[in-house]
Formats: sequence, C-alpha cells, structure tokens
Amino acid sequence: MSFRLYRSRLKAIIRNKENVFWSYMFPLLLASLFYFAFGNLWNNETFETIDIAYVGIDNEADVLLEAMKEAKISEGTLLFNVVVVNKDAAAQSLENGEIEAYIIAGEEPVLFVKENGINETITKSFLDSYSQMLTLVETIMMNNPTAIEEGLLDDIQNFDTFVYEEKTGAEPEYLLIYFYALFAFTCIFAGTWGMDEVINIQADMSITGARVSISPIHKMKLLFSNMFAAFTAHIGSVFLLLFFLKYVLDISFGDSFLGISIICVMGSLAGLAQGVFLGIILKQKPAVKAGLQVTITMLESFLAGFMIADMKYIIADKAPILSYINPVNLVSDALYSLYYYETNERFLLNITILGSFTVILSFLSYLRLRRRTYASI
Amino acid sequence: MNMIVKVDGLVKRYDKLVALDHLNLEVREGDIYGLLGPNGSGKTTAINCILSLLKYDKGSIEIFGKPMKPDSYDIKKDIGIIMQNVAVFDELTVYENIEYFCSLYIKDKAEIKRLTQEAIDFVSLNDYIKFYPKKLSGGLLRRLNIACGIAHKPKLIILDEPTVAVDPQSRNKILEGIMKLNEEGATIIYTSHYMEEVEKICSDIAIIDKGRVIAKGTKDELKAMISTGEKISIEIYQAGDETIEHIRSMPNVISIEYDNEILEIKSGRGKNNLVSVLHYLEENNVNIGRVITEQPTLNDVFLEITGKELRD
Repeated sequence: MSFRLYRSRLKAIIRNKENVFWSYMFPLLLASLFYFAFGNLWNNETFETIDIAYVGIDNEADVLLEAMKEAKISEGTLLFNVVVVNKDAAAQSLENGEIEAYIIAGEEPVLFVKENGINETITKSFLDSYSQMLTLVETIMMNNPTAIEEGLLDDIQNFDTFVYEEKTGAEPEYLLIYFYALFAFTCIFAGTWGMDEVINIQADMSITGARVSISPIHKMKLLFSNMFAAFTAHIGSVFLLLFFLKYVLDISFGDSFLGISIICVMGSLAGLAQGVFLGIILKQKPAVKAGLQVTITMLESFLAGFMIADMKYIIADKAPILSYINPVNLVSDALYSLYYYETNERFLLNITILGSFTVILSFLSYLRLRRRTYASI
Repeated sequence: MNMIVKVDGLVKRYDKLVALDHLNLEVREGDIYGLLGPNGSGKTTAINCILSLLKYDKGSIEIFGKPMKPDSYDIKKDIGIIMQNVAVFDELTVYENIEYFCSLYIKDKAEIKRLTQEAIDFVSLNDYIKFYPKKLSGGLLRRLNIACGIAHKPKLIILDEPTVAVDPQSRNKILEGIMKLNEEGATIIYTSHYMEEVEKICSDIAIIDKGRVIAKGTKDELKAMISTGEKISIEIYQAGDETIEHIRSMPNVISIEYDNEILEIKSGRGKNNLVSVLHYLEENNVNIGRVITEQPTLNDVFLEITGKELRD
C-alpha cells in the first residue's frame, strides 16, 4: 500500500463535507435528541412526593395507610405525603388541586383521581401491588397459620422500595437499545464511504475510475489503500460518538474497552464491506446507489430497534434469522451482551457472525472487482 | 519509424449495434494522429478498446510492439490519457490532483514533486495550485485535466475530445500544448469532431464513420482523394438562369449553387478555374461583389465520401 495514495485519499474523504456531516455530526445530533427525549424516563429526580389523601375506616388498624407512609422513591424521599381526612374533605381537596388522588379504604380500596398522569399511574400501580400482596398474605395465612411467627411475611410487607429498588444501577433496557442501535447505525454507515471508494475505482461507474483503471497500479492495491483511508476516517466518527455517549451523555457501555473497540472495528469493517458490495451489485447511477445504501442501512437499523425498541424483540421472536444477518443488530446486540452478560458467549457469537458477514461480502465483491475490462462504459 | 499503436480488425458490438466494424489503425512514433468523425462514429469506443477498458469481440491491439491487455502494466505506465469529461477529484486542490494522478505512475517522492511542478508550469496553472476544481472556469478545468494526464511524461498521449465546450482562447492554448508535447517526443492520438483542430495539428488522420475507417492519410492525401479541387464563392446580386447554366457547362465545374446572392462553384483540380468564371461574368456585364476561393476541407472529404456533413 502506498502511503502517499492513502494520504491523498484520506484528505479527499475528510474534505467531503456531506459525508462528514452524516458520519460525524448526524449521530451526535441524534444521540442528543434521544437523550433529551427519553433521558428523563430513568432519572429518579423527576419523581416527586405525591400529595394524597386517605379516607380510613374508623378504629381499624390500617395496613394500607402504614404501607403508604413507608413507601419511598429513594433513600430519604417518601413516595406519598398522606393526609387522613374524611371523604368530603378529600373530594374537596382533589377538586381544589391540593392533592393528586385520594384512596378510600375498605376490603377493596378505591382510588379517585382527577386526571391521568405519571403520579396517578404510580399511585394506581402502588394500590394494585398492595392488593396483590394482601391476597398473597391471605392465601399464605390460610395455608400456613404460623407463617407470621416464622417470619415468612416480613419481606412481603416491606414497601420501602416501591419505586427506587427497581433501579439496580442499569439504565432501563429499552433506552439502551435506542442508543446501542444508534451506535450500530453509525458503524454500519461506513457503507457510504465504502460505496464511494468502489465507485471511484470502477471505470464503468465514474470518470475518475476510468482514469485510475488506465494507470499501471493494480486495482486491488488501490482499493485496499482507499478502503484503509475510508476506514481511518470512519473509525474516527465511531470513537467520537462513543466518547460523546459515554462521557457527555453518561450512557453505560460496560467496562470492557477492548470489547467495545473490537465492536467499533468489526462494525466499521462490516459497514465498509456492505457499502462496497452494494456499490458493485446495484446498477443505478451513483446518487441513486447512495440513496439505496442509506435506505438499506436505515431499514437494518429499524429492525434492530433504532426507531421502535420492541422491533428488536419482535424480529428475534418472529424472524430470528434476520437478527443474525442484520449487521446493525449484530453490533447493537454485541454491545448489549457486553454490558448485560457476565460471560462473553453472546458477544463472541455476534462478533463471529459480523466477521463472517464482512468476509463473505468482501469475497463476493472481489469476484466482481477483479474484472478489469467492461462490456460497456 | 517505430509502430506505437497497431489496431487490426477491431470489432466491438453492443447487442445488435456494431460500434466498431473491423477498425484498422497504425500510429507511428512521433505522429499526431487524428481520429476524426462525427459524434457516435466510434472514436471513444476505439480509444476505450485500445486502453483495454472495454472488451471487444474481435481483432488485436498492440502498443509499443506488445499485445495490450488489462494487466499490461509495463505498457500502461507509458500512456497518458486525457478524457472527454474532466476526471479529477473535487475534494483535492489543483496541485493535489496532479500529484495524486502522478503518484499512480511514479513512486519516488522527489520525482513526483518535480513532475507535478512541471505539469503545472506546462498548463500555466501556477496561480491556481490551491484552488479546488469547482472554483476553476471550464478552460482552466480542461487544463487541469490535461496536467493530470501528462504529469508522468508518457510516451503515448491519448486525448479524447479535449476541447469540447472550451472557449477559443483555452482551445488554442490546448492545441499549442499538444504540439509542444509532440515536439518533446510524445506520440499523440487526438480524437475530435472539429475538423479545423485536426487539420491544424495532426500529421496523420483517420476519418471514422459508423465504426469504420473510411479514409486515412495526411490531410493533403485525404484532400487529393476527392474530386473537388477548389471552392469558389462569388457575390452576385442578380444571377439569371442563363448565366448559371453557362457556368455549369464550363469545363472542370463539378457543381453550382446560387443562394442568398452567393454563387458557389465547386470545380475539379486544374488551373484558371476562377479566371474563366470571372472572365465570363465580365463579358456578360454581371455585377459582382466579393470573391472567395477556398481549398477543400476535411469536411468536404467527409461529405464526398459519406454524403453527409461531418457535424451531422
């Protein structure tokens, strides 16, 4: 490989403003958009203590009231600010907007709300959990009257951690799917560069391709040099996005820098291979080819959960083969498995398939590229 | 002189269309060889076949005495090509483009630098070396295209319609440049549908139509092939039928047309064609204006052989 040719090609690539925007800026903008659109969904601090009224039953020890008073959002922050009042006062307070809901105690507690919102949903969810727990306790007591004495119900009655215990340090799964799919999309977007490179050396695709085809340099040598330049330019955009997600938006990628680096490299190579392959097999004009390349990458990203996180699971369930041949899904799943699983089996499976995908497409491309004369130009 | 390019019985078909029909060419060292023909006559197809870019159905091509194949890198290193369309990278400056294409041929860093500068000097782009192609005018862009094709000092330079859509000033510069390259030792193949250009710079010419060479030789040899020896145009305000018929019957007159107060006479080779006509007009008191006499052009050659104008 000639360093001079590599350097010249790299210069040309990084001066292509359109490609640089889509590879470098677009993922950052999209990541920011995702962050601001969904970011608050897993942020505890957005939950505030809910003002609520409780209408109890006279002279009865009230387990529900105690549970409400004990429930917390996080350490030191109560879920409910409960006032015990009669039914009329509760209704009046709800009407005046002083509280967000009130509960009338009874065998089946009844919840009254004025409107639907996140706090009302949390209260309803709390009440449902309480009812299920009560049914569970009754069943246990019926089957095993000594359960209280044996301490079997201690844990069940604990409502301390109604909201915050759900969070164990990991961001909600669905949100990671969006960010991982975005990252995977960026890796596979290398296809745009790959397609440009193949167009630039094929005499039947571009006029510059005709000129370099007439030169005494071997086409595969030139392609290798150009692809290496494209890879250099692209991997920069991938690591920039990684840095931005990890250190600016604080998205977790796990601790394996080596694993993430392997994903970045393998994902970018797969993207380049896909771009070269599409550049060769599509017979349309370069602009149409580029449009199709972006469309295919977007479709792969969609199937990997880029737009709808559930899609990843739908495809895995209904058409698992698509999950294994979709490079965007392979990259995002490799990130996912690196983050969630303690063993590397799934990560290695994804990387192996991704590598095979790259090798197969590269080989098929080579079979077409080695041709050096054309039926028409 | 050594044979630089020899094309023998070249046939190229696109399905039922025969683009090249047993084309034969022989270009000798030091030639400026013109391929003249109307658009679609097969000039560019012939060039692409010669360069092994296009597959062909029949025939053989030799360059520098060796068969030309797609992997004939030892032949390719001595060929320079200037295409009809400008083939440069928009993202590289003038200097970087020339340097890049030169480095496809030359490995030595200092040599590349020297040759790049020489190419820039040759096409007079010194003031534009940091410009990107999009900032250049059409003429300057063509000059950059030429510089990219000749920077590595090839022995054979092929120029495929390099002056299409170029202003007259740049066109002259390009033609002067081609002659200079030839003087410096390069053999040139020059395709064009502009007969004036071919007539001006080419030592040997092949006229192509429908993929076949219909005539070849030096420009004088080509002109000698046709019966027209001279074209006489006389401005006559009123030419009667009797006058026209009398001139038509004069010896050596091939054809006569009167249109828009211009009497155009084509006469065969011979002396005193013009004198005879003028003498007759004077005797018959026919008032005349301007008188122009022209030698036949390559267009006349083409017209007489094919029955159509070169620019059709």
